[in-house]
Amino acid sequence: MELKELIFSLCSLMTVSSFEEGSFDELKRLLNNDFDEIKQDAVGNIILLRKCNKENPPKILVDTHFDEIGMMVTDVKEGGFLSVTSIGGLDRSILQASDVVIYGKEKLRGVIASTPPHLRGSGDSDKTVPIDELLIDTGYSKEEICELVPIGSAVGFAPRYTELLDGCIAGKSFDDKACAAVALHALSKISADELAGDVYLVLSCHEETVRIGGIAPAAFSLDPDYAMVIDVNFARTPDTPKAETLELKGGVSIAHSPITDRRLTLMTEELCRSKDIKFARVAAPSTTGTNTPALNLVGRGVPTVDIGLPIKSMHTYNEILNLEDAETLGALLREFVCSNEIKEAFAE
Amino acid sequence: MKKLDEIELLRKLCLLFGPSGCEGAVSEFISEEIKDCCDSLKKDRLGNIIAHIGSGSRKKIMLSAHMDEVGFMVTEVTDEGYLKFDTVGGIDNRVLSGKNVSVETKDGTVEGVIGSKPIHLKKSDEREKVPKTSSLYIDIGLSSKEGASDLGIDVGSYATFSSEFYEFGKDGGKIKGKALDDRLGCAVLILLMRELYGIRDTLPYDLYFCFTVREEIGISGAQVAAQTIMPDMAIVLETTAVADIAGTKDSAKVAIQGEGGAISLMDRSTIYDRPMVDALLAIAGRENIPVQIKKYVSGGNDASHIHKSGVGVRTLALSAPTRYLHSPACVVDKEDYFSMIKLLSALLVSDVLAAI
Repeated sequence: MELKELIFSLCSLMTVSSFEEGSFDELKRLLNNDFDEIKQDAVGNIILLRKCNKENPPKILVDTHFDEIGMMVTDVKEGGFLSVTSIGGLDRSILQASDVVIYGKEKLRGVIASTPPHLRGSGDSDKTVPIDELLIDTGYSKEEICELVPIGSAVGFAPRYTELLDGCIAGKSFDDKACAAVALHALSKISADELAGDVYLVLSCHEETVRIGGIAPAAFSLDPDYAMVIDVNFARTPDTPKAETLELKGGVSIAHSPITDRRLTLMTEELCRSKDIKFARVAAPSTTGTNTPALNLVGRGVPTVDIGLPIKSMHTYNEILNLEDAETLGALLREFVCSNEIKEAFAE
Repeated sequence: MKKLDEIELLRKLCLLFGPSGCEGAVSEFISEEIKDCCDSLKKDRLGNIIAHIGSGSRKKIMLSAHMDEVGFMVTEVTDEGYLKFDTVGGIDNRVLSGKNVSVETKDGTVEGVIGSKPIHLKKSDEREKVPKTSSLYIDIGLSSKEGASDLGIDVGSYATFSSEFYEFGKDGGKIKGKALDDRLGCAVLILLMRELYGIRDTLPYDLYFCFTVREEIGISGAQVAAQTIMPDMAIVLETTAVADIAGTKDSAKVAIQGEGGAISLMDRSTIYDRPMVDALLAIAGRENIPVQIKKYVSGGNDASHIHKSGVGVRTLALSAPTRYLHSPACVVDKEDYFSMIKLLSALLVSDVLAAI
């Protein structure tokens, strides 16, 4: 499958945090035996193994989180409208009049209600509607919807993918499944002989909701020699500060932070330079907003490098990335897992 | 040509690009659909379509629906290739952030997205606020101004919501889409023309089907259509807000979706003709077709310009109760749509209006 199609397929799966498991079978179908092992651990992480052809190989962990932001049904109102709560950092300013899918006993389409003009008042339209006042229009009566959608059901943004100009694409949950798609795509194309070690790709769970993400138990059981965390990062737009953002099409970000391994970070940068891979440094003077802090402290500690794919409009149903950056990320991952210099430096 | 069924016709109409002042694509489609079911068809100077069924000797009834939809106009192309915009027609800024849009180019449209600042970078007070329209921008994937001008995108280019049209709810009984206001009215008119053209010799009226421009900005093309036709009576086919969702107090409810088309008695710009209202209610009662009275004095439509045109025109409005008007996700009930067609058809084959 072409990278773009794989991104669309993976991002279309419903993996709202704590509901990731429902997509495991569909994910397996997408993978067509590119991996030596695939399993799910006790908390819901999906762990895929690519074995190398070496004696006593080191273990390299690559993390991309598989969960996405979304909503959960909390109540059914008169007229068959659903109340919801947010799962993950949901921006309420994007919710009204958007398309959703309700994952009850069956998949149903719904629309998030917006306010009719005569009830809008004059001064209030700069305020977002609190999440507990939002309603989802289901088109069913209360009795019918109570049967179809139990309290606690997931609600996700409806998958819709758009090709913009100049290699940009827009859609939901590029955070972080676009990175997962890049990793799956890149790792499936490397021969076992080229790999510097056994590569464990963890499609980790619960990143969006729990401060210490689901990655920790996976890292504990694997006890890797070194790791790369791949998540999305902020691409520059007219409404974002320059210092905290990256130029789209400027390649991947490499985080400099007290919680990343400095030597691994510098070696990864060197690798980029020698292989002509575009990257931009970002400064994270306390910590990163990714799985790195969770991974770094597991067991004996894990030397970690933190890589970012720039996307715009993060945490909306129209996140935007440029395929050139996605290709760059794939190229870096490939060089990283095949690098004998890094293996020599970090294998125990 | 195979005739589109009610839903496919509405789907095609809603997906067309036609903000106020840029109704060409809608007008072209409608002209093609109706050219074989009218005695004459013309497009006036403003862009209204006027299609006549009849001999010209009977009482003249104007039936009107507007072709335009709410949308956007580019106000600036930034050096980085983003499009700043303002709204064409009234759009609540709370339905803008993150939405898909189509942008007019010199040859067709391209897709874009209204950008949204990541919530992670918003300060806590900013998270409670909806961005003002003036701070928003459309992202079409470009990184330079030149890219936009190569496509013919410039200040003044139009855009609309880009939104999937789908059926949902029990037995797919609801329809969600952009521009149901007022392509639903246009669809009702087209379906009526198909039905009535074959029996035109038996009709008690001369019927003028008008597909009008620029309703959404309030400086309505329907006025010119009315001045041209000088009808005895007019019937406006529209959509109206419903406000029947959970938690709305009864006094604020405009209508109830699923209980038929809503007849206006009065809104912010028109007091409707009571004998016409009574005639329509009588037909509905006789034929057992659901219909309801719009219960809240709000909004306005082309009736405002039509009823005061020329020497004055007795005017009636029948609207589909529509949730989330002027958003990319308007919702109507199929039964309301079907019953509006039935009711008007019954009205126009009867002679009750001739007696007024």
